[in-house]
Amino acid sequence: MLDNISYFIRRALRNMRQWPVLCSAAILTMAVALATMATFFLVVINIQGLATSWSEEVQVVAYFQYPPAGNQLAPLIRKVEAFADVKQAIYITKTEALKRFEARLGDDAGLLEGVSRDLLPASLEISLKSGSHNREGVARVVAELKKDSRFDDLRFGQEWLERFENFVDLLKFVGLVLGSFFLLAALFIVSNTIKLTLYARRDELEIMALVGATKRFIQIPFLLEGALQGLASGVCALGFLTLAYKLLLQKSLQTFWLTPVGFDPIFLNGNQQLILVLCGILLGSLGSLVSLRKFVRL
Amino acid sequence: MIQLFNVTKSYGKENVALREMTVHIEKGEFTYVTGPSGAGKTTFLNMLYGACKPTRGQILINGINITRMSGRQIPYLRRKIGVVFQDYKLLNSRSVYENVAFALEAQGKKRYEVSKRVYKALKEVGLEHRLQRKPIELSGGEQQRIAIARALVVEPLILLADEPSGNLDQEVTLEIMELFKRANARGTTVLLATHDHSLYKRFPKRVLGLEDGRLIMDHQP
Ligand SMILES: Nc1ncnc2c1ncn2[C@@H]1O[C@H](COP(=O)(O)OP(=O)(O)O)[C@@H](O)[C@H]1O
Ligand SMILES: [Mg+2]
Repeated sequence: MLDNISYFIRRALRNMRQWPVLCSAAILTMAVALATMATFFLVVINIQGLATSWSEEVQVVAYFQYPPAGNQLAPLIRKVEAFADVKQAIYITKTEALKRFEARLGDDAGLLEGVSRDLLPASLEISLKSGSHNREGVARVVAELKKDSRFDDLRFGQEWLERFENFVDLLKFVGLVLGSFFLLAALFIVSNTIKLTLYARRDELEIMALVGATKRFIQIPFLLEGALQGLASGVCALGFLTLAYKLLLQKSLQTFWLTPVGFDPIFLNGNQQLILVLCGILLGSLGSLVSLRKFVRL
Repeated sequence: MIQLFNVTKSYGKENVALREMTVHIEKGEFTYVTGPSGAGKTTFLNMLYGACKPTRGQILINGINITRMSGRQIPYLRRKIGVVFQDYKLLNSRSVYENVAFALEAQGKKRYEVSKRVYKALKEVGLEHRLQRKPIELSGGEQQRIAIARALVVEPLILLADEPSGNLDQEVTLEIMELFKRANARGTTVLLATHDHSLYKRFPKRVLGLEDGRLIMDHQP
């Protein structure tokens, strides 16, 4: 048994050495397929990451007609924070609202000179829990707030939210379609490349069958070879991806104007890297298996 | 050892390669299979090692009906049969040693046993000094001797040779015939397909004559 295994490994290795062009062609094809899929995956998870950090800014602002009396404020905040969807409510006084406005005007802050300090209304800035960063969550909070007559006006960017959610849905759909397309294309290309390598060695397959090798005995070295090539291609793809990420994605994301300040670009985590390499092994052995079934006939 | 009962092989409706062939070959016999090109010699030999199945009829080898064999069992049949072809069917990217070792490795034999037996088989055909050469670098006669070593290294019950000297000159043919006769003397049943009349005149043995797929002659010397 051990003797057999070492024989199979020796055979697989020497086959690869014997056909370096075919071998590297197979590795390259698989590496390109894997890298394409992984790049796409990376783009999708980064956009989703971006989307999540955008949606963290989703909040409802409730403006007061009259600023609440000092002893009413705390109970009101407690009441609002008790809503199921609400994470936090922060009171913004008139003075603070004006200060923010001034800050935003920057050099033009002079325009506000002599303006009454009562210009802007006091408000509650209500941020939502992470599960409620969507239309329904906002709508529930707004409905509750409307019952309270102390609030004069509510702002909540409904339209923006709707578009954003549609965008994320579209992204997921496109990801699914393109992802499965890439997967099929990769399998097709890989099995054809391997078919080519088997075609180049059809004499060897024929002679093995002739001298009484069992089907399994003939197939195992080729399967092993496919798996080894898959492993190599997985590692290549990972290397390529790391490079592309460092050189392109990371820079472009950091300079992208919509990227929130606190957002760190996402790379594959350890498990996902392992999965990528395993995918390579699977792709290689599956590709071999599919084409072997056509070639090894007894 | 080999028994055929009413064996017919046809490719499509019109193309019948063998018709109702019935023949018995004893263990240890040396038999020529003769006939013009297209007579069915190759088809006959191919059926004996399971390369194709008869359309009708039964074939028994060593008492086992191989027409009922599944694809799984065919390799085990082939381990008892050595085959030699006109075009040698060697791997030119492998050394002489590896080509012969292939047949034993395919049976899962241990490395030390493989090397011992390969060396012995190559010595038998007089090529023990060519171990590491590539077949393509050698002469046609030497290449055929490698193929014969590969067929004999497994110590087969039956040796099938399909026009083994078709590409070789007279002198080399005699050398190769010598190898077949020696194998036969050790008890291997030999079937040799040829259309070279001089061969069986020179080494008279049983002759099966085929023509248009029919067995028209069965001659014992
Ligand atoms: N694979 C095949 N497909 C179709 N016809 C075949 C095939 N193999 C052999 N034949 C036909 O069977 C007949 C016998 O061929 P073969 O056994 O090769 O004869 P021989 O070896 O005596 O020259 C021929 O007419 C040939 O055309
Ligand atoms: Mg023929």
